[in-house]
Amino acid sequence: MNVQRIRLVVQFISFVVLIYGGLFAIDLGNRLPTFACSYVPDHGGGCFLVGFQHMLSRPLPEFLGEQGIRLLKALGIAALWAIVINKAWCGWICPIGLLQDLLTRLRTWLSIDMSRFSWVARKRYKSVKYILLALLVLIPLGIGNGLISRDWTAPYCQLCPARPLLPLFRGDTTQFAINFFSLPTMALTGGAIVLVGLMFTTSFVKRRFLCSYCPMLAFLSLFDKVGLFSLKKDGSKCTRCGNCYRACPMEIREIEEEKGLKNLVTQDCILCLRCVEACPENRALEAQFAGFSFLKADAEAFLARQEAATGGKAAATKRRKK
Amino acid sequence: MNEMPPEHMNPSGAEGGRKLSRQERLVNKVRLHLAMTVREIFEEVEKDELRPKAMAYFDDIFRKFMHNGEGVIKAAEDQKVIGTYCVFVPEEIVYAAGGYPVRLCAGAHDTSEIGEDFLPDVACPMVKSEMGFASMPILDFYQRCDMVALPASCHWKLKMGEMLEPFDDVHMLDVPRVKESEKARDYWLEEVKRFQKRVEKITGRKIRRKALRDAIRRIQRAQREVVRFQELRKHNPAPILGRDALEVLNAYFYDEVNDWTDALATLNDELEERIAQGIHVAPPRAARIMLTGSPMVFPNWKVPFVIEDLGGILVCDEFCTSQRYLSDMVSVDEGTMGDMLMAIAERYVLPCACPTFSNTIERRDRIARLVDEYQVEGVIYHVLKGCHPFDIELKIIEKLLQEKGVPMLKIETDYSPEDVEQLRTRIEAFQETLKGRN
Repeated sequence: MNVQRIRLVVQFISFVVLIYGGLFAIDLGNRLPTFACSYVPDHGGGCFLVGFQHMLSRPLPEFLGEQGIRLLKALGIAALWAIVINKAWCGWICPIGLLQDLLTRLRTWLSIDMSRFSWVARKRYKSVKYILLALLVLIPLGIGNGLISRDWTAPYCQLCPARPLLPLFRGDTTQFAINFFSLPTMALTGGAIVLVGLMFTTSFVKRRFLCSYCPMLAFLSLFDKVGLFSLKKDGSKCTRCGNCYRACPMEIREIEEEKGLKNLVTQDCILCLRCVEACPENRALEAQFAGFSFLKADAEAFLARQEAATGGKAAATKRRKK
Repeated sequence: MNEMPPEHMNPSGAEGGRKLSRQERLVNKVRLHLAMTVREIFEEVEKDELRPKAMAYFDDIFRKFMHNGEGVIKAAEDQKVIGTYCVFVPEEIVYAAGGYPVRLCAGAHDTSEIGEDFLPDVACPMVKSEMGFASMPILDFYQRCDMVALPASCHWKLKMGEMLEPFDDVHMLDVPRVKESEKARDYWLEEVKRFQKRVEKITGRKIRRKALRDAIRRIQRAQREVVRFQELRKHNPAPILGRDALEVLNAYFYDEVNDWTDALATLNDELEERIAQGIHVAPPRAARIMLTGSPMVFPNWKVPFVIEDLGGILVCDEFCTSQRYLSDMVSVDEGTMGDMLMAIAERYVLPCACPTFSNTIERRDRIARLVDEYQVEGVIYHVLKGCHPFDIELKIIEKLLQEKGVPMLKIETDYSPEDVEQLRTRIEAFQETLKGRN
């Protein structure tokens, strides 16, 4: 079983559903914790951050009433999604994730080596996504209470690279522009275009560059402990060979480093399951859904996958024919 | 066995009327002794009527040690031969550059005596034996090497490089001792790349992506067969003797990897059939023994022979010359040149349980795992005299095994056959206590 191939198929289906779903009367609601951009015409599902930011842009006393309940309801639905699918949103559904993965495939096809952050740098930038998440709450609150200009409205939509990029798949180019209305809108929408550019360029150097800073990842990581998907490690079986760390697009070193770590869905994990596939030790890594184990590290399966990875299938059939 | 040492191995002196020099007489003497040792081993082995037929392939390789080791390695006439020591030299790189790797770690008693010309008496017999082979034309593949790659693992190996220089083109590999740090890993990757450049220069062939990928696949195919072999060995009662298993894995040192893999596949098929037919080489109640500690290389097989002569069964080992040599695997991820080189570099160092590394956690967990997986009842900890790294870790492993409730016997020995009887007494007593436990 090649999980990465299945993942790619799921990513494609998710992409089609989220971008074109509206054309087939699919509506997954507007509370999805993933970059399913609501600016896409006829989208099949929308990102919960749009409504969330607008709901937060209110004077504080309003939250004591109906507005507060609306906000809690929106958050509750998003949280429920986050618990059921947790980080698989990032690894299996997010359209921006798919685009980055495709660009990575293009890079490896061109045989360009990847590079990684130094361990220190990686650690240093870990907090960025949480700072962004905090600002995501604080800026709308500031707007609603007259502290920040209205030009900052829905700042994360203005800054999000999905907004200019994803409508393009429906032939809508209007979002792919800088809003020259004021300095803040210029900076934010200009930033979005820069992020799109960064996504394309960094994909030829690194894997999933944008994800490390994504406030949605930060939001989802709040549910790591209660999410239904989990990654278990049996440290006594681990040889610390480093395969998992090398395979990890998010450069999570703890998978390899810590023998005592039980749950491997750490803050940056996107549940792509590449680590489980790269693990050659029987049952050292295990992926579970609601306690049910659906993928285990396995020496024999590892070697079979490796044979495919090193172009061995053709050679194997040739030998058999002889 | 009716093979006799060849005529020219006559140690007495004259050949064609010419007086032999002292050196030549010594070479002849050692060749003769080695041939006798090998013959004795195979005479003993042939008494075993239940031996798998597929073992004959591996026997042939070692029987050639009786004839100067001619034909032991299968390098083509114009193919460059790269000698390797320890478990840190990336063979994928040698194969990818069109070279032929041969592991030179040695186990012969007579050459270890020659080695004393270079090393102090207290040096470990393996290093002494290797010096003996390197400095004298006893086995031809030692002389055939166009370069030898020597990792600076233990202190003996570290200093052996300079001693080898008069005889070989030596390439030292600096293995980081504290492998956890980021800089150590980067450094080791650079060492691997330096080795790659050197091998490319010697073979005159630049390593391309496809060649490296093919080389990785060849070795992975061998490892896949080893996984199967080890799974079969877990079967109780055992389908194959441990000493035969040691021989199979030891043969990997010399054989061409594809040929070896095919031979092991044939053996595995035979073992599967045996298990299906209920044929086993040891009774179900035989004490299941595991070996760990200093490596054992052909023809230093006295300990496994004693264990199994006494009715025990050697179910697994943790030797860098055997099981551990082939258990860790390269994991190709993206398949770019950089990715494959990093995968190769990491495979040889990160999971390695060599005691020359600062931490023992990899080895402790590995031993604990082996004990559980192979239902080991007793562990024999083998220390070669002068092998400090394994001696240092003894207490730690002893404690681990105590906690697991598995008895351990330490034996300290060298390559000399003199202490066999003494070993027999001790191992017999140990295996008796194991029986008493059941």
